[in-house]
Amino acid sequence: MLRSTRRTFVHGSMATAGALWLPKRLRAQGAGGGTLRTVMHGDLRAFDPIWTTANITAYHGAMIYDTLFALDESMTPQPQMVSQWEVSDDRLTYTFELRDGLGFSDGSPVTSRDVVASIKRWAARDGAGQHMMQRVKEIRAENEKTFVIELEEPYGLVIDVMAKTSTPLLYIMREAEAETDPMEQVTEFIGSGPFTFNRDETRQGAQYVYDRRDDYVPRDEPASGLAGGKIVKMDRVIFENIEDSQTAMAALQAGEIDFYETPPLDLISVLEMDPDITVEVLNQTGNVGWMRLNFLHPPFDNVKARQAMLHLIDQEEFMQATFGNPEYYNKCASNFACGTPMENDANTEWFERAPDPERARELFAEAGYDGQPITILHATNIDFMNNAAQIVAQRLREIGINAELATSDWGGVVTRRAVMEAPADGGWNIFITWAGGASVGNPIALAGHAANGRDGWFGWPEDELHEQLRDEWAMAEGQEGQLEVARKIQENAWEFVPHVWLGQWVAPVAYRNDIQGVLKIPEIVPFWNIERV
Amino acid sequence: MLAYIIRRLGSTVLVMVIVGVFVFMLLHLSPGDPAAIVAGDQASPAQIAQIRERLGLDDPLPIQFLRWASGVVQGDLGVSIFSGEPVLKLIGERLEPTVSLTLTTLVFAVVIAVTFGVIAAANAGSLADRALMGFSVLGFSVPVFVVGYLLIYVFSIQLRWLPVQGYTPIAQGLWPWFERLILPTIALGMAYVALIARITRTSMLEVLSEDYIRTAKAKGVASRPLLLKHALKNAGVPIVTVIGIGVALLIGGVVITETVFNIPGVGRLVVDAISKRDYPIIQGVILLFSAAYVLINLLVDISYTFLDPRIRY
Amino acid sequence: MSTVPETSLELRQPRSAAGLWRFTRRNPTIVAGATILFVVMALALSAPLFAGDPLSMTPALRLRPPSAEFWFGTDHLGRDLFARTLYGAQISLLVGLSVAAFSISVGLVIGLLAGYYRRVDAVVMRLMDGLMAIPAILLAIALVALTQASVFVVIVAITIPEVPRVVRLVRSVVLGVREAPYVEAAVASGTRTGKIIIRHILPNTIAPLIVQSTYICASAILIESALSFLGAGTPPDVPTWGNMIAQSRLYLGPAPWTIFFPGIALAVIVLAVNLLGDGLRDRLDPRLARRM
Repeated sequence: MLRSTRRTFVHGSMATAGALWLPKRLRAQGAGGGTLRTVMHGDLRAFDPIWTTANITAYHGAMIYDTLFALDESMTPQPQMVSQWEVSDDRLTYTFELRDGLGFSDGSPVTSRDVVASIKRWAARDGAGQHMMQRVKEIRAENEKTFVIELEEPYGLVIDVMAKTSTPLLYIMREAEAETDPMEQVTEFIGSGPFTFNRDETRQGAQYVYDRRDDYVPRDEPASGLAGGKIVKMDRVIFENIEDSQTAMAALQAGEIDFYETPPLDLISVLEMDPDITVEVLNQTGNVGWMRLNFLHPPFDNVKARQAMLHLIDQEEFMQATFGNPEYYNKCASNFACGTPMENDANTEWFERAPDPERARELFAEAGYDGQPITILHATNIDFMNNAAQIVAQRLREIGINAELATSDWGGVVTRRAVMEAPADGGWNIFITWAGGASVGNPIALAGHAANGRDGWFGWPEDELHEQLRDEWAMAEGQEGQLEVARKIQENAWEFVPHVWLGQWVAPVAYRNDIQGVLKIPEIVPFWNIERV
Repeated sequence: MLAYIIRRLGSTVLVMVIVGVFVFMLLHLSPGDPAAIVAGDQASPAQIAQIRERLGLDDPLPIQFLRWASGVVQGDLGVSIFSGEPVLKLIGERLEPTVSLTLTTLVFAVVIAVTFGVIAAANAGSLADRALMGFSVLGFSVPVFVVGYLLIYVFSIQLRWLPVQGYTPIAQGLWPWFERLILPTIALGMAYVALIARITRTSMLEVLSEDYIRTAKAKGVASRPLLLKHALKNAGVPIVTVIGIGVALLIGGVVITETVFNIPGVGRLVVDAISKRDYPIIQGVILLFSAAYVLINLLVDISYTFLDPRIRY
Repeated sequence: MSTVPETSLELRQPRSAAGLWRFTRRNPTIVAGATILFVVMALALSAPLFAGDPLSMTPALRLRPPSAEFWFGTDHLGRDLFARTLYGAQISLLVGLSVAAFSISVGLVIGLLAGYYRRVDAVVMRLMDGLMAIPAILLAIALVALTQASVFVVIVAITIPEVPRVVRLVRSVVLGVREAPYVEAAVASGTRTGKIIIRHILPNTIAPLIVQSTYICASAILIESALSFLGAGTPPDVPTWGNMIAQSRLYLGPAPWTIFFPGIALAVIVLAVNLLGDGLRDRLDPRLARRM
């Protein structure tokens, strides 16, 4: 207690001293204090948010890097590092200007050369970025502060793609790092974001330390989502890695940590009863459980067998098994998750009747299923995946399908799902994961929405019409126009069945009551604006 | 004696080579692809293949092994596939918590267990003896993590006497350091207490039945405390042996205890590394544990000469 | 080192009720351990007669407390914990017994060869030292995590680190017996090596190995539960006590019965095996106490 008080004092006075001799700093950061201890959903394993698309690394990115655009609370893109931008009348030339006061934590200013290099490296790794780049003629730095994107043909999503929160996000790095081969990890982690990464006090696998940057200049607008002014009110934020959720819960209750991102839903009621703890849903679109079917091998190379899976699944029981409390989950028939602008009910009659095991049995028979084993990749160390795989296997067995669980940890599943060979030769038929609802609502941003065969995401669905419609969606104007195309995509998708959704849930976070100012935004948890009262 | 130690150290090197080859083969021959894990959920198979190539995981195994082994010989355990941090640095950061937990557990276990063992032996056949020995068998039979959760539930959540989890470096004060080690030490020490108490009791009983003690007793010269002192000294050899064997048990228990109490030690480092297939870390830590095991057993063997003058090398 | 212990004769079936009673009084731990084990085995094997389906899941009925319908309650997937605890006995015993059987047989062969042939000895014992230096639990985690989880892989993974301990034990017995006059006499009279090993050396290893096998069995059951706890054990749909505890650890507060029953079962069976082991050791080979 004494220690943290003293630290607060020291930092407080330093901030004051800074304000005296550099007027910029006065605006930069409010007086604040203390250390915020948090437990996030996973261990931060790699630090380069472009090289790996792991969500936790995107969180890490949001601490130390800034973005050109950012989504606000209502999921609308707002300029962040950009001060102003314009698009030519032919919709082919976008001109952007960087705002004043942007600097990297090593003291160097952010220039448009840094930005151009960062966009190029990101686009090499990002599905939506690639989609955009197919239409880009040139990206160039006009001068220190201005950069231009020139297109071959009009593309409606330029700003959306740059602002999206699904991984990898477009974080701006120094040109030196951004020139790194996109398949290799950068080794210096210097950004222009509101925090710096304190590598000396970071203990890989145990704690990751971020210190407030006193020379970061936030925007003037109030913080909203990832947009607006990123005013850091704590001196330090620590991501602690507590693997065991029982232990993390106990630590939160005992006040040893301040913030717990993913308390198990089954135990939420315990936390809700605790007078010192607030339980709150930050990400309203939540996550969608996701079953991928392998298009390359029988039986799921046959559309009838894939349709059978739609009829077999009862989302309710998948949700119930892991999340227990119906307050936090719902069933959702839309291919674009529920609560997103693209949610719709096209071609969802099957959903009204599901589960319909008899129909599923017939469809498997029509697909010519001959009793061959169906390999389900089963990750044991992640509750939802663990439970869902067991239920799928059970329900398949009940209709006479020879389901086999291939059990390993998630690391094993990730390895094996990349194998294109037949299940008997180390491949697979079914694996289970989940995706963020906001990403699922975007036919371009989510890599798994592609149906471009072997070049696409695991499961390798292939459907020409689907691909045409996705392109059409990207060109569509306005949300109305997009929704119309989205309906067509879904109409077609629930015929050829690229995958099956297993239900949607929101994951509340829990934090100590003395914490205030937690921002609500899907997919990322920002730690600016938070203070201790 | 010196020649013996040198010979033993020589065979230690041989053992380490065997461990190194074995672990390397085990990791690299089994399925599991760090590139697929590191690339994240949104990466495509083609991107994964490119990352794998850049990480050198496509090179022939003998080349990969030589690359690693030549580093190890020069004291370089390589870098983490994921974070790019040197393995030696990662282990260094994690060593203090593990060593602390191991030492407190050893002290706790030996003190409690020898006390139990002596009481039981001195009152052999009594109710106290049976109760203590029954308790020690029980200590063997309940898994570490069950004990751990019970302790957290009672002492941290209900009574709020002790912290739930984590580790405070000893540099930040003795009590803050010790406070967080109490529950893990008890949880981990249980099985150990059981093991050592049983051995202490058995060897005490054997010594107590030996002739010179009987003679002393018959002559009426020896008081009970004196007897115990004699007996305990002679019982030292088997007790030390058990400690040597128990180190292996302890290392296994450390892995679980560190998970339950969220102690950022070497055990958790390696379990994390296994789940993400971070080969250099797994190899490094297993080498380290093996070396510790072999060296501790060497120390145990040497300590025999002090405990029992009859033993000479 | 031990020769064939005469006391082992007493282990043969007592002929009368009085004999049985005398045996019980003299060997309370053996009888207690064996009785518990026997009861558990009987329950495990007869499980299909009176327990429900341990695999069938009904998430709508999850986390129900013990009741007339579900004697031990249900787990988070709505599975019957009574059925799972009973079937769990099958798997836990299977793991314990198989590990004991495999490690004893493999260790016995290697140990006999190493003890008898000096040249084999040098190589084998270094290998064994290496294997023994790797922490058992890490080796097992790595083996299970890196290959595919199944009961068989778990058995193999727990067996491998146990083998060197058995080898050492057997070898020390062999080294002790090899110099014994009757063995030397047999060698001198030109008896075939195989015959010497089987006739004269093998019998001496039996008593210590029986004792050792009980400890291996108990520790295998515990290690299986630890592996499950760390997420690298038997597949979660297979009911083992370790699995059940590991998957239910979240519910220690709200649904303690999910942990209570498998926890008690686990402790009881390990206790029984340990008691049996202790009793057998005292009976068969008191000196073993010092070597363990």
